[in-house]
Amino acid sequence: MPITHEYQSASPVKAPVEHRFSPYTDNGGTALAVAGEDFCVVAGDTRQSEGYHINSRYQPKVFQLSNGSVLATGGMYADAVTLVKRLEQRLEWYYHQHEKKMSVDALAQMLSVILYHKRFFPYYVWNTLGGIDGNGKGCVFSYDPVGNYEKHHWNCTGSAGHLIQPFLDNQIGFKHMQGIQRRFLTPEEVVRIVKDSFTSATERDIYTGDYVEIFIVTAGGIDVQRVPLKRD
Amino acid sequence: MAMKVELPQKGFNFENFQRNAVLADKGYKAPKVTKTGTTICGCLYKDGLVLGADTRATEGPIVADKNCEKIHYLAPNMYCCGAGTAADCDHTTHLIESKLELHRLQTGRPSRVSTALTMLKQMLFRYQGQIGCALVLGGFDVNGPHLYTIYPHGSTDKLPYVTMGSGSLAAMAVFESRWRKDMEREEAAELVKDAISAGIFNDLGSGSNVDVCIITADGVDYRRGYDKPNQRGVKEQSYKFAKGTTAILTEDIRQFVDVVEGDAMDIS
Amino acid sequence: MFLTRSEYDRGVNTFSPEGRLFQVEYAIEAIKLGSTAVGIQTSEGVVLAVEKRVTSSLLEPSSIEKILEIDAHLGCAMSGLTADSRTMIDHARVEAQNHWFTYNEKIKVESVTQAVCDLALRFGEGAEGEESIMSRPFGVALLIAGVDEKGPQLFHADPSGTFMRYDAKAIGSGSEGAQGELQEHYNKSLTLKEAEVLALRVLKQVMEEKLNATNVQLATVTAEKGFRIHNEEETAAVITQLA
Repeated sequence: MPITHEYQSASPVKAPVEHRFSPYTDNGGTALAVAGEDFCVVAGDTRQSEGYHINSRYQPKVFQLSNGSVLATGGMYADAVTLVKRLEQRLEWYYHQHEKKMSVDALAQMLSVILYHKRFFPYYVWNTLGGIDGNGKGCVFSYDPVGNYEKHHWNCTGSAGHLIQPFLDNQIGFKHMQGIQRRFLTPEEVVRIVKDSFTSATERDIYTGDYVEIFIVTAGGIDVQRVPLKRD
Repeated sequence: MAMKVELPQKGFNFENFQRNAVLADKGYKAPKVTKTGTTICGCLYKDGLVLGADTRATEGPIVADKNCEKIHYLAPNMYCCGAGTAADCDHTTHLIESKLELHRLQTGRPSRVSTALTMLKQMLFRYQGQIGCALVLGGFDVNGPHLYTIYPHGSTDKLPYVTMGSGSLAAMAVFESRWRKDMEREEAAELVKDAISAGIFNDLGSGSNVDVCIITADGVDYRRGYDKPNQRGVKEQSYKFAKGTTAILTEDIRQFVDVVEGDAMDIS
Repeated sequence: MFLTRSEYDRGVNTFSPEGRLFQVEYAIEAIKLGSTAVGIQTSEGVVLAVEKRVTSSLLEPSSIEKILEIDAHLGCAMSGLTADSRTMIDHARVEAQNHWFTYNEKIKVESVTQAVCDLALRFGEGAEGEESIMSRPFGVALLIAGVDEKGPQLFHADPSGTFMRYDAKAIGSGSEGAQGELQEHYNKSLTLKEAEVLALRVLKQVMEEKLNATNVQLATVTAEKGFRIHNEEETAAVITQLA
């Protein structure tokens, strides 16, 4: 007579089966923006990855828009590209309809509306928008994927966002310090801090590396610098 | 008179498996462990073998250690590279190192690679893959050089060149294109370095430096930091804080000793 | 021109052999039956003034609304078939709100005028497979006044969907005489107060009834206060300056 085990009647081991369509992926990377008194610095690394794999060492995810602002994206690259295409189209429509370039503040609101219109199938993108506002002052806006946004003086998102943000709080915002003279930094000072932010993040975040592309937005135009980072 | 005797059932007992499945169903998750993305490899050459490893340890997306040691000592003639769960690799190799030492004391002979291999695979099989070790075992014994890979469930391979870890495909690509029989010592070390470098640069789980360990009949040449292709550059500026930058919330000086003038020292 | 009725004056989207759209021209004529409305732009703001035809002593004058708010910085005066203006004003208001919602900024005066004119032009039969929303052109003309980043501006929009910017413009039954008056007395250095007086003076000359605080309505749009309709006392105060 065969021995019947008590647990044989229990349900057999279920192998996990994926039934659901998973349309999103995270392509990693880090982006930041810092608003100065009359300028704005926006930067992002150029590594694009999926899991432990590098798709590209140079695939910029910081985009210069036609109204003179700069949009740094993070999250899913395909969605970011689609979103930027839509923004560019809307910027052009606006230009023809109203015979003026869209201000950064108007773009900030429009981006929020576009993101919220896809509330239940969002663009999987974390945006950081930088530029110069109508009063000639540097400004930074940051977004979640469904359009919640906020105006800041500095912001960092992406895979090393949590590593860099407190550093910016301290170095740009002079936070957690006593007896320090708060002041606006020069573009050169900000760029130095941005470079050190990215080289340091590259040390500890596996998704950040290869190059950092730095956009310096001033009333006179946009200057772009590309700095190599470690490739491991 | 018939007696009812309950005999223990034969074979493995999987009662705990069911218990764990029930616990998992109820939402009690097993504790998470630190897994390390890694590139490790080894290859035979004319006079022996070369082992190689990168030095990055990760916790999810974060680099936990930029220069850790992944080539573990097992015996004077034997080393073992570990990939997978960091604690499992450390403790498993350490345990086998200890057992090999006892074995040598008992037998009075140098350890054989096959002995270590058997110990490792039996232990890993007993734990049914729950010990997350993927190993590259290399050593030189009376039978010559030996190179093995051991998988977490206990299966093994014996091959002239092997790779393991998340960077194993990158490293294997180098071996497949450039490994030859009976290479020279330095040639083999360079090939291993290039294989590990392929993992360092193309696999996000691997990074930092290349460690190499050359094992021959004459002994071991452990080259820690054989190549350092990822030195940190110079920072743009110093971030030293001026004195007094940190806020002092309270200040309290306590007198623990009463110093009384005039008491002479007792020197009797 | 209206003596020669032809088969071309029926369809709203059929040109006559001379290249005319009679229905549109008739619609423009309809405005000339309406009460007079005047708009004057100054460097300080824009003034809108309309005549109210109080046709019966039993009619409540305050129920005649011929100046309406589009947005806080935009106002509108009308003449012609004022019922038609409901559709246009609603459209303009929605357009202004949409712009604010999407861009968090005030819509330009020209943009809102353009939007209204786009609507005015949709009197045709509709493209293929598309239902027509209108059976005829609007019978109303608008004076759209506002202040934006380009300063105070006054636009005139007519049933043909054409709009133009004016320093001063009169529409409605008395428009010909009123426009001549404006031409004569307008100058660029006019203050807002002077423009209010000029607007009423022009209305006074073309109105059949004697002008008083209840049969005219006055509104201003300025950068500081936005769109404001004058109440009876304020209107009366301007009337005293007519002399």
